[in-house]
Amino acid sequence: MNKKTKSLLWIAGALFLLIYPRLFGIYYANIVVTFAVYALFASSLNLLLGFTGLLSFGHAMYFGTGAYGTALALTHIPGLPLIPAVLAGLLASLVLALCIAPLVVRVSGNAFAMMHMAFGQLMFVLALKLRDVTGGEDGIGGFDIPPFSIPGVISLDMTDPILFYYFAMTVIIGSLWLLWFFTKTPFGQIMVAVRDNAKRVDYLGYRVPHTKAVVYVIAGCFAGVAGSIYALFQNLVAAYDAYGILTSFVPVMMTMVGGVGQFFGPIYGAAIFGLIDEFTTRFTDRVELVLGLVLVLVIMYAPYGFAGFITKMRLRWAARKAA
Amino acid sequence: MDASVAMYVAQGIHGLAYGMILFLVASGLTLIFGMMGVLNLAHAAFFMLSAYFGYQMLAWTGSFWLALLVAPVLTAVFGILMERFLLKKVHAFGHMGELILTVGVSLIVLDGVKAVWGTESLPLKMPPILEGLVQIGGMQYPIYRLFIIAMALMLLAILSLVLYKTRLGMVVRAAVSDAEMVNALGINVPLVFMCVFGVGTWMAGVAGVAIAPILTVFPGLADQMGMDAFVVVVVGGFGSLGGAFLVSIIGGLISSYGVQFLSQYAAVLMFVFMAVALAIKPMGLFGERE
Amino acid sequence: MTILETRSLSHDFGGLQVLTDVNLQVVAGERHAIIGPNGAGKTTLFNNITGTYTPSQGQVYFKDKNITGAGPCKIQRLGMGRSFQITSTFDRLTAFQNIRLAVLSQKGIRFNLFRFVDQMDEVTRDTVEILKRINLFEDRFTLAGNLSYGKHRSLEISMALATNPDLVMLDEPTAGMSVDETHYAVGLIRRLTEGKTVVIIEHDMEVVFSLADRITVLHHGTILATGTPDEIQQNPNVQTAYLGQMED
Repeated sequence: MNKKTKSLLWIAGALFLLIYPRLFGIYYANIVVTFAVYALFASSLNLLLGFTGLLSFGHAMYFGTGAYGTALALTHIPGLPLIPAVLAGLLASLVLALCIAPLVVRVSGNAFAMMHMAFGQLMFVLALKLRDVTGGEDGIGGFDIPPFSIPGVISLDMTDPILFYYFAMTVIIGSLWLLWFFTKTPFGQIMVAVRDNAKRVDYLGYRVPHTKAVVYVIAGCFAGVAGSIYALFQNLVAAYDAYGILTSFVPVMMTMVGGVGQFFGPIYGAAIFGLIDEFTTRFTDRVELVLGLVLVLVIMYAPYGFAGFITKMRLRWAARKAA
Repeated sequence: MDASVAMYVAQGIHGLAYGMILFLVASGLTLIFGMMGVLNLAHAAFFMLSAYFGYQMLAWTGSFWLALLVAPVLTAVFGILMERFLLKKVHAFGHMGELILTVGVSLIVLDGVKAVWGTESLPLKMPPILEGLVQIGGMQYPIYRLFIIAMALMLLAILSLVLYKTRLGMVVRAAVSDAEMVNALGINVPLVFMCVFGVGTWMAGVAGVAIAPILTVFPGLADQMGMDAFVVVVVGGFGSLGGAFLVSIIGGLISSYGVQFLSQYAAVLMFVFMAVALAIKPMGLFGERE
Repeated sequence: MTILETRSLSHDFGGLQVLTDVNLQVVAGERHAIIGPNGAGKTTLFNNITGTYTPSQGQVYFKDKNITGAGPCKIQRLGMGRSFQITSTFDRLTAFQNIRLAVLSQKGIRFNLFRFVDQMDEVTRDTVEILKRINLFEDRFTLAGNLSYGKHRSLEISMALATNPDLVMLDEPTAGMSVDETHYAVGLIRRLTEGKTVVIIEHDMEVVFSLADRITVLHHGTILATGTPDEIQQNPNVQTAYLGQMED
């Protein structure tokens, strides 16, 4: 694929997303927003899991903190505009990531995964029990969603699902682009090197813990943005959805199913999960059972997921063409 | 005797009983991890599965003792099957593959029991002989909890005997500290792994049936126990049996007295305990390796 | 001028004494070989110098700075590069990316999150130049893990050199190579280390005597002798302890 067709495809995709809600209506627009929120959440995890080789079973911490950050800011600060509300979520996740990073950057592998599971549960239990702040199981809901406004220029009502769709997609696609950009910078190279061989990175004169810490904080921040958009979208943040263990597992599963270590992997994964969810709920309540089966099958037979499968097919196609 | 002292003691017995159950679950987890480097995230799911098996056995045969005997063995068989046919296959993909696989199995088991037994909370009656209270030194103790403590201590004693007095135990301990060396000694490592995995899952299974009469059998059974067991393994140090024992007891007592004095914040205490312990010793209190 | 010095360096692993009172002096600009039978403590000595281990006793001085107990990263930044006996590259990255990581480190580009690395022309140019010098330009898009053994070893050595260190520590650079590959690797090392100080662990005596300006013989964790190749060859202690055995 040359550069021209590639950019044409991107433009076509952007145009499609632009007219999509007009074509399919609110229900399907909301499905895409949900998908996009998880795509960003899972992509931020992939920065850790796929690019730096750090498996976290507690990434919901950052998603949930972003969601609570935005929800609490909107509940307690009257007249807070939209963008600062999102930034409040990001900031909350940033602060949490800065606190946890020093504790976790010196470990990796199982210890990293388990410490996250434990910290994630700590956040979950806190959110459940600090009822006065978080609303416990019932959560915080019904806060006003401010309009997207540039004073004197424009004011868009964010309770209109279609307009919110445009806002959410802009923020999420912008965030995804930034994440993609990070993987292409010199720093992005170093983080992949940490995944492959942390010892050698040390001997090349890079500080491994510092590198991990920066990746970690970035991943946390973007999960926070995903959470923040989620809070605005649902107009409700409750402990289980924000911090539950399943919320931590879901991005891991999406990343694995979509393709770990490939930038678009988690995005494919989020789409596949959206489809599974959409169809299995029509037949059975046992969605988790189906997800578990999919996960086991993927890890056993296609460990590089959907993206890996595509790459394999593309290579095979190229080989056939060359022959 | 003073009523408040009696309350402290009763709460202590509750804490010890829970700590023992916790130890049964956590020791299996830490043993499997120490031996094979596999953190089995489906461990708590097996614990719960065993409680369901126990319920079913009791429903069919009417015998609690048969349930306590058979259900854990059945659970161990499931564990061994997973180790043989699933875990082995993803070994090449490293720890990440193993963790994710066990998460998948855990989801299947946790949701599967709902499909088979529904979401209702099911009773598992304790045998009449263990019901009620016993009078010792002017104080009353619930017999069933004393039974749990006694049984766990007995299992601990057997486990220690096997680990420290038999050849198999020697191999297992050697493998915990240096798996490569054991490989080099020409021991049938896959077989030893299978045994360890089986025994680890079996102990979780015993814990599952043992706790069922107190908590009843329900789909959320694995959640609390799973997290507490992981906290124990993390804080006690990955792969350390002694650490698991000590932290289980501490954890049990924290839970028990926590409920007494802080009621709703009791669940937080366990994690605060963990956070403090980890901040002081990142590799766990008794752990040396990742 | 001495660039690297160990002062009564000792190392023991839980009671097992591997190095005892090692006083090594490396002069700036020389190629210094360290030889000795297996288990003499050569790699342990390297690990103590490059920051893998902290010495049990004694100090390490590099450019007159006490670096005892410093980590690999800090020591590297002071200008000491290292290669490994067991190839340790980034196997899921291409040869180009492997070398580029070393070049980025040499240029001090570490936490740059604001530019495409592919658009850093100077970095790309330097990387390509190195790849051409080590005859890996054709393989630049091959994953390091898929390179042939000889090329993989070349990459391993070149990564240590690409950071442009003042002192290079090469741990058995020709380990496992065929005669031809060894021959090629020696030429490569000779070319790439022009004007640099090199400390090299080597088993192949032909390589040692053709490459080294000075040789240190390590035996049971102590230095048996240090001197020019001629002196070492004629040293009776060395002959009985080591060289004689080798020829048997």
